[in-house]
Amino acid sequence: MSVLTERRPLGDNARAWALNAPAMIVIALLVAYPIGYSFWVSLQRNNLKRPRAKKFIGFDNYKALLSDQAFLSALKVSALFVLVVLGLTVVLALILALVLNERFRGRGLLLSLALLPWAMPGVVNGLMWRTIFDAKTGALNGLLSQLGLIDNYHAWLTSGTGAFGFTALAQVWNTLPFSVIILLAGLSTIPSELYDAATVDRAGAWQRFVQVTLPWLLHPLLIVLILETMNAFRAFDTIYVLTGGGPGDATTTIALLDVQTVLTFTDFGLGSAYAWVITAITLLISVGYIGLLYRKGNFEV
Amino acid sequence: MELNRRQVLKLAGLGIALPTASSLLSACSNDKSGAGSGDGSVKFEGWDYEAALVQKNLDRFTQLNNIKINYTPITSAQYVQKVVAEFTGGGGPDALYVYDDSLAGWVEGDYLQPLDGLPGVDEVYDAIYPGNAKAMTYQGKRYGLPYYTDSNSLTYNSGILAKAGILKPPASLEELEAQALKIKNAGLLQYPIGVPAQLSDTWWSWVWALVFASGGNMFDDQQAPIMNTTDTVVKDVFAWLQQAANKSKVIDPACLQLLPVPIDNAMKAERYAYTIGARYANRDYNDPTKSKAAGKIKMALVPSLDGQVHGTVSNTRLYGLAKDTEVKDNAFKLLTYLGGLDADKKPYTAQYWFLQRGLGFAYKSMATDPEIVASLKKFADPAVYAHLAEIAKPRNILGVPWYTEFETEMHKVVQGVLSNQTQPSAAVASLAQTAETLKKKYS
Repeated sequence: MSVLTERRPLGDNARAWALNAPAMIVIALLVAYPIGYSFWVSLQRNNLKRPRAKKFIGFDNYKALLSDQAFLSALKVSALFVLVVLGLTVVLALILALVLNERFRGRGLLLSLALLPWAMPGVVNGLMWRTIFDAKTGALNGLLSQLGLIDNYHAWLTSGTGAFGFTALAQVWNTLPFSVIILLAGLSTIPSELYDAATVDRAGAWQRFVQVTLPWLLHPLLIVLILETMNAFRAFDTIYVLTGGGPGDATTTIALLDVQTVLTFTDFGLGSAYAWVITAITLLISVGYIGLLYRKGNFEV
Repeated sequence: MELNRRQVLKLAGLGIALPTASSLLSACSNDKSGAGSGDGSVKFEGWDYEAALVQKNLDRFTQLNNIKINYTPITSAQYVQKVVAEFTGGGGPDALYVYDDSLAGWVEGDYLQPLDGLPGVDEVYDAIYPGNAKAMTYQGKRYGLPYYTDSNSLTYNSGILAKAGILKPPASLEELEAQALKIKNAGLLQYPIGVPAQLSDTWWSWVWALVFASGGNMFDDQQAPIMNTTDTVVKDVFAWLQQAANKSKVIDPACLQLLPVPIDNAMKAERYAYTIGARYANRDYNDPTKSKAAGKIKMALVPSLDGQVHGTVSNTRLYGLAKDTEVKDNAFKLLTYLGGLDADKKPYTAQYWFLQRGLGFAYKSMATDPEIVASLKKFADPAVYAHLAEIAKPRNILGVPWYTEFETEMHKVVQGVLSNQTQPSAAVASLAQTAETLKKKYS
């Protein structure tokens, strides 16, 4: 009897903690621990080729980045890559979403086709575009030649500008459908009464787009901007397969440099520092987007 | 004992967490399948070149010695990374393939043990070419027995040359450019010369071959960069490359997006008249079942700036013995079988590889072995083949821990030269700067 009186039912908080504990332990082991460990490694001189030289060096790896030419160059390439990929993705996704939001014959087929590239893994995407851009047997050369636009086949990926542009294009092709889906979902939530009211007020198509569509799309656009910035900043597989980072440093992004530093040079300390810088930059950009766009979303409309 | 709810929940949580934790820990722990399993079996790893033939040869070893081998072929593109990861995790193999450019790092990483003093090792080192012996030695200690070796040659399509009225291969780079221009002007090929120049993790042997062929070097014997100071050969070779790619346009600009295999395919399809690469590729090029150019592909010494014979570059692939192996005797028996001499003092496996796939050999005696010579004649001139082996030398910075970083940077610089974005003087200055920075970083 005395035992029974000592028992107290668990409070809601305690029960919630208890029920979530197993999942939290698993997440801590599989996610938090590797992330924390990678930060710890980034504070070390840790190159597998020189295990005896391993030691804690504080933030020296981070300080070294300021004068690391390879890092600074890769950062510049990454920033430009993000700008180009993001710009193209947002504009094209918006156009495609607006088109697919209309009702017309063949819409279902077009929607399926537009989504197809999303199903393709980055490496396969890279291989496909590599075949298309091939200097000897590429479809692009074949097409342009048959149209009479070029006399000789060109090696499209051998100039810095060409390699950068075509790589960005391949990346956009792969990630565009995801943005289209998000924007299409956003478009479907806009009440048709708003368009009716705008039409009654004699607003033209452009005014309806600027005054009604765009404000309602700010939140979906925010998601697109955040996720596509992260994607473009972390882009690796397509670039690796298409150009390997070349010619020279023209397409060596920070993600490519990071993989090379860790896996080829086995410099885990510096490579982890690169990874943390990528994370920090992506986080900063995301916070910036939220600060700029969130308050301007549909709540004010 | 009576349990309250809190205790029950604690136990339930532990019940779920423990298997997860234990499986994670076991995943991180040593995988000693084979090694240390008590039956003396040897865990052996290599990159995945002709894995079926490797297995066949290992089966013969097992039959002869009654030692079980657990062989794992690893994709060559990730071989170095995977082996490093295995050794770091404590579950490395007992015996393994080693690239000459990985040797220093793997010794420094405590993955390998020296073979000095083990039976038959001195005999092997006496029987092989000095360049190969040097490539397998680090800080005065011997770390491997030879798997295969190769040196670079100029490979040319004699049929295309004949159509352009060219009777002999070029001795100098000037001649090479002139011959290529003749082929180009005759309308036979738009770009007669092809070399693999897409960025990748593999070394660009052809750049080293061109430098060594002209008697130059990038580093002195103390591994100090000399390409921007006392040695002008590198700059002159880069100048020739730039001219041939951009002025006379005899080097294919598409090379910047071509890896070695597409170059091989182009040679077999008669899309190029010249390339610079490993001698053993000639076997494939001259195989009528695989190549349109079969019978027309020949090898020559790599052309030099002054037309004189100076050298070429060689590489060595070796069999190494893990430092922490628990089956050292059996693993070394395997190493001797694969890279050493048999009871008849013959390098059985080296012969096996040459006869099966034409892989280059480190053993001097094989160059005069009638069976080898007969087989060699099917795809190359034995005299040129042997001459290349004699004059070949390894890169002299294989022993520095920053070699991979330097090689990677060199690829980018050479791409800049080929695409006319970097001038030769700036290229060598940049390489020297890279070497100095890396030396400082690793000091």
